[in-house]
Amino acid sequence: MRQNSTILRLQNVSKIYQMGEVEVPALKNVTVDINKGDFVAIIGASGSGKSTMMNLIGCLDLPTEGNILLKDQNITRLSESDLASLRGKTIGFIFQQYNLIPSITAFENVLLPMEFQEIGDNEANQRVKKILEIVGLTDKGHHLPTQLSGGQQQRVSIARSLATDPEIILADEPTGALDSVTGKQVMEMLTNLWKEGKTIIMVTHDLNLAKYAHTTIELKDGQIIKINKRLR
Amino acid sequence: MVLHAKIRSWLTILGIVIGVAAVISIVSMGEALQQDMTSQLGDLGGDILTLTAGASKAQGFGPGRDKSGGGSATASEEEVVVDKTDLQVLKGISDIKLLDTQIKGSADVYYVAEKGSVNVNGVDPATWSQITTSEIAEGRMLGPSDSNVVVVGGKIANGFFDKNLGVNQLITIEDKLFRIIGVLDDTSTSIYMPINAAYEILEDKEKGVYDSIVIQIKDEDQLEQAIDNIESKLLISRHVTSDKKDFTINSNAQSNEARAEMMGSMTTFLTAIAAVALLVGAVGIANTMFTSVLEKTKEIGIMKAIGARNNDIMTIFLLNAALIGLIGGLLGVVFGFMLSGVLPALMGDSGGIMGRMTSAGSVISLSSVFLALGMSVFIGIISGVVPAYQASRLKPVDALRYE
Ligand SMILES: Nc1ncnc2c1ncn2[C@@H]1O[C@H](COP(=O)(O)OP(=O)(O)OP(=O)(O)O)[C@@H](O)[C@H]1O
Ligand SMILES: [Mg+2]
Repeated sequence: MRQNSTILRLQNVSKIYQMGEVEVPALKNVTVDINKGDFVAIIGASGSGKSTMMNLIGCLDLPTEGNILLKDQNITRLSESDLASLRGKTIGFIFQQYNLIPSITAFENVLLPMEFQEIGDNEANQRVKKILEIVGLTDKGHHLPTQLSGGQQQRVSIARSLATDPEIILADEPTGALDSVTGKQVMEMLTNLWKEGKTIIMVTHDLNLAKYAHTTIELKDGQIIKINKRLR
Repeated sequence: MVLHAKIRSWLTILGIVIGVAAVISIVSMGEALQQDMTSQLGDLGGDILTLTAGASKAQGFGPGRDKSGGGSATASEEEVVVDKTDLQVLKGISDIKLLDTQIKGSADVYYVAEKGSVNVNGVDPATWSQITTSEIAEGRMLGPSDSNVVVVGGKIANGFFDKNLGVNQLITIEDKLFRIIGVLDDTSTSIYMPINAAYEILEDKEKGVYDSIVIQIKDEDQLEQAIDNIESKLLISRHVTSDKKDFTINSNAQSNEARAEMMGSMTTFLTAIAAVALLVGAVGIANTMFTSVLEKTKEIGIMKAIGARNNDIMTIFLLNAALIGLIGGLLGVVFGFMLSGVLPALMGDSGGIMGRMTSAGSVISLSSVFLALGMSVFIGIISGVVPAYQASRLKPVDALRYE
């Protein structure tokens, strides 16, 4: 059975965006623990702070107040380059707009995260092949992103998020740009990853997609108003 | 990385190409010229002086200049000349080893059915071979007992007429027949003959009057004193004071120095132009890098999200800038050498420095290639540093939000 150890902990986290003179509070005093191996959906209306929370969890941004502990490390106290390493090794990102590098092939896009880690060329190439097989794109490796459909691009982006074999996969509206059939395929892929032991954290405003998750965190105006844990 | 960015990159590279090409062609032409000059200077004795009539140009337009009539101490309206009297005076000076009286002019030369115009030099057949810096390629130099024979420049023997000329062949100069006894190891269209024969060819020359007297002194180390001595003796014999001097003594050493100086300042000038060209190239690279940082902001965000450190981003951009520099440098080297071969020819054989550049060609030195490449890569990196640093400092969230 899955052990219930905490992989991510947000303690009294607040995020205030400074827009000139105006302060925009996007998150207010958020405290939550996320367990290793959980499938979490963050839901809420537009502007409720979902992406903000995602960016903080992904170490792309730092909180204005409070602490974030990722694998027991306080990310607010890490240096820029330690943060980058932690991000590269522990977290895989899947974006709504895929965010592939347009000038390089699908294969190279998947290879890229490994270039920033100390992974040998041979091993890296082998891994890319294996991962492309998992997402069903073995024959598309030499294609540029623009030569792929949206669903295929998102699968490349899922493959990329798996490159360094991270423990956590962060997905911000992963099906937002896809039709419902392709979106369903992507969700099934995430479910499979979760079954293999990855921790999945997904942002969505689609309650149907939230059903794939086992923990649902609902945000409103920058505050958590409900945490729903489904029993298995 | 992005396709349309490529065209701008090529334009940027062009800036560096022009700069490097300018540097390479200037350096290689300069080097060729220097080699050419030193090879000539090497055997061009510093012990040679040339006496000509008239005040030196350096003394400018003051009184005492030839033909300036009024104020001239030589009381007459006659042309100032160097003649037999001066030769006698010089013969009495102990510093002097050899004297060679010369006249020169142009004459028509005929060979079979062809005709051409050449420089005829009448020289003292007894001393010319010892004083001249020219070297013989074929045959022999003029000797004391020669009369109707000539030594011709290399160009006259090869390429001047349809048929090449050689030793013992006969050519007609004006209306007299001459036998070639030697061909010089150069590319000139000059003909050297005994001065007495030249007086008959160059009809406007008066016997006993010389265009110049070439003087070889005994001791090169005593050059200054020898010049002073010769000058004072001539001032007395010609009845002029030193501020109204009506003759000029040029030393090879001095004119070579002047020429080297002029070359030096020309090289400096051209180098300055090349430096400006390179600077423009550098600004171009910096500009391209800045725009490419803007353009790639989102990609930088993505790369940071998937684990790129600040240093990784910095390296990527610096490598890119260095690569632009390297490609520009390589192309610049190629174009530079092409240019240095073509440029002097374009400027025409107008004599002087440019004319000598033509004959000198270009010298390709490996060190200048490496210098140029190193320089362009360095410029690339230098102009890429600030944009690369800027790129590396972007915050991941902000970069990702950028559209
Ligand atoms: N960089 C920023 N600067 C200023 N304000 C921001 C910034 N990013 C987000 N905000 C504000 O913070 C609040 C939360 O934004 P956030 O993007 O987290 O919402 P969201 O829940 O992801 O919305 P959506 O469902 O539309 O993506 C909003 O009011 C937004 O305007
Ligand atoms: Mg959002």
